Amino acid sequence: MYRLPLKSSRLGRRQLLKLGLGVGVAGLMPLSSLWANTVSTRARIVILGGGAAGMSMANRLTKRLSGASITVVEPRELHHYQPGWTLVASGVWQAEQTLRPNAEFRPAGIDWVKGPAVAIDAEQRRITLADASTLEYDVLVVATGLQLNYHLIEGMSPALIGSHGIGSVYASLDAASRTRDTIDGWLAHGGGQGIFTAPQTAIKCAGAPVKMTFTTLSRIKAAGARDRFKLDYFTAGGGMFSQPWVNDFLMQRFDREAISRHHSQYLSAIDPGAKQAEFTSRDGDTEVRDYDFIHVVPPMSAPDFVKDSDLIAQDGPFKGEWLDTDIHTLQHHRYPEVFGIGDVIGAPINKTAASVKAQAPVVEANIAAFLQDKALPARHNGYTSCPLITDIGKAMLVEFGYDNDMAFLPSFSFIDPKEESWSAWVLKDYLLQPAYYAMLAGRV
Amino acid sequence: MTFSLAGILAVLSYALPPFLPLMLTVLVVLVLVQLLARRRNYRTGSYHCMPAAMVALLAGLSTAWWLPALTHSRLVFVTTVIDWVALIAAALGVALVTWLVLHPLSYLVRGPRQG
Repeated sequence: MYRLPLKSSRLGRRQLLKLGLGVGVAGLMPLSSLWANTVSTRARIVILGGGAAGMSMANRLTKRLSGASITVVEPRELHHYQPGWTLVASGVWQAEQTLRPNAEFRPAGIDWVKGPAVAIDAEQRRITLADASTLEYDVLVVATGLQLNYHLIEGMSPALIGSHGIGSVYASLDAASRTRDTIDGWLAHGGGQGIFTAPQTAIKCAGAPVKMTFTTLSRIKAAGARDRFKLDYFTAGGGMFSQPWVNDFLMQRFDREAISRHHSQYLSAIDPGAKQAEFTSRDGDTEVRDYDFIHVVPPMSAPDFVKDSDLIAQDGPFKGEWLDTDIHTLQHHRYPEVFGIGDVIGAPINKTAASVKAQAPVVEANIAAFLQDKALPARHNGYTSCPLITDIGKAMLVEFGYDNDMAFLPSFSFIDPKEESWSAWVLKDYLLQPAYYAMLAGRV
Repeated sequence: MTFSLAGILAVLSYALPPFLPLMLTVLVVLVLVQLLARRRNYRTGSYHCMPAAMVALLAGLSTAWWLPALTHSRLVFVTTVIDWVALIAAALGVALVTWLVLHPLSYLVRGPRQG
């Protein structure tokens, strides 16, 4: 096995104190990162993806590793704050509020490859890019995000979003805007059948299908037209949310709001012209429903080029669909020089930006240890967070993790995760986006 | 999930810029009025102006309406203890700043003899 030229340098206590006080007071970097050892290495680090996870890792590793060659593979120039898309689709935010140039967050000294990766050769530790050029790595961070599989719904295409009563907040910022316009049109029509769906796979921001239901309901009630709109929610799962208390809360709230729940049924086909949707149950039975508005949430998986690589899970619940990582160390099960972070990893929950915030320090610490041939010291507890909007103007700050049976992990002792509050809404509306950008910059 | 002090400051460094022009404007007006009045012997405790106090009180009370609306919400959703603590703190702040501007401003307009 290739041995990496390594050297760990430790600043003196007096220097650390001076740096920590000076920089900490200025609020420019987390003190914890200053206290962490800087690792000198000539390792070639490739980060696949420059979204929330990839950019956060680029900033963290740039600070942590001295002398490393860090390459980020990310074709997009603009960074999308995707957690804001539900607010765009609900008419609360303007689309422009979710955009910033990626360059604002790119750390100095990295190589930014502005093209997509198309293949991973894990045995040879080589990435192939769309232009057929290759990148070799000593450490690979897979932060590609996930792939939206609209094509698995017969008759569905992202191009249909915004027409034929079809909305879908996931496809893009433009799709979120078109979803808002479609809902506007439906509300202006004065009544009808609305259908909201959740698919048969893990999805990013698992609360978004529910949030879209609640924000649309909020707008219907604000228009004083609740009696004229019928709402149905179809989910492939037996429940509605992975956290048990929240699951019970949601089922009761849906019943109270007269939103009909249909469990163990997923959207299998859509006929836009006829405005009909076909749902398939677990035992294969199908049912066709008419709709005036439908919110489509597509099945999701790791990107095809990750699925086609040796890095994909070979067995277990994530087989063939998600990256094969240890859910605590975030190291690949079979290729120790590969780490995963963000939506692409196979984990029971965790496809949120909040999870990335918790995962990034773990991956940073474990890569630093790996480069020094030490045992991996950091473990991820499965933390995730969902600012669950229950009405336009109030929310619940639901934080939990997959350790300890999805127990709540509240960040703020004064905010009860079981209470709907204006404070949680204000956090979602005003503070989570700045926290997200601070995370991208590796500062939290 | 925890945030260090530096982390909280980092988040604020992204959160505050959109509000800085408004905050700076209010601060400049407040400091300017206070300085001008104090150069003309204004003393907070020795000048009385009921209208300034009433307007400050109304401004504070109006916070309960416009602050939730400003945050795309409604007063009816202010329900938990932390909601009310935050709203009351904001109302007190608005009332205080309003009074700190209007009280010396009144002194400048009306003069000390009418106090």
